[in-house]
Amino acid sequence: MNIEELNKRKTPVVVIDDSLEKYKDLPLFQEKVDKANEMLRTVGLPKANKKKTRRA
Amino acid sequence: MQLDRYQLKAEESLTVFEFTSNGPKGQIPKLIKFSETNLKDLYNLAFGDKDLTTGDLNDLAISNNGDSEKVLATVVSTVYAFSDKYPNSFIYATGSTKARTRLYRMGITKYLNEITRDFDLYGLRSDEWEIFEKGIEYEAFLAKRKNSNFIL
Repeated sequence: MNIEELNKRKTPVVVIDDSLEKYKDLPLFQEKVDKANEMLRTVGLPKANKKKTRRA
Repeated sequence: MQLDRYQLKAEESLTVFEFTSNGPKGQIPKLIKFSETNLKDLYNLAFGDKDLTTGDLNDLAISNNGDSEKVLATVVSTVYAFSDKYPNSFIYATGSTKARTRLYRMGITKYLNEITRDFDLYGLRSDEWEIFEKGIEYEAFLAKRKNSNFIL
């Protein structure tokens, strides 16, 4: 597969950068995550895909 | 949908991505994070500008760097990368403001046929998930990769 073909893929070529590891466990965008959790608590998943919750 | 997009970096688990927007306002680093939520296999997708001096992230920044379509295409490509690695995950996304949610809806609508080839896509309306349809205003979006094995 040449570069042109790689660039046409929907799945991108991703360069692994270990310096980003520090963000993995940081509560980034936490306000949005909290809002999502609040909404998901009441709305859940689409009807055919309900699953058990991971945490209370 | 083969839009121009930025080169991506990520850490090993492919939950944090970074790219640099390049335009008239200069180079603006952006960070994307897929965060776990209280529902198993459901991740919140958020992204924002990274302040190079403080390292802080701002998901309300309006960059006006003339590349919003390229930025959105890059974010969408991370959804492909993430769902390649976590094919059973749901990805939840909403804008930081109503205007931004509307912008995302317009972007999704523009490429809906292509997106729904690869993802089941839902919109949140009146506290109910429904199959995403054009012309309807949604509060949030939910995507799940369809069960195709490999997509080029």
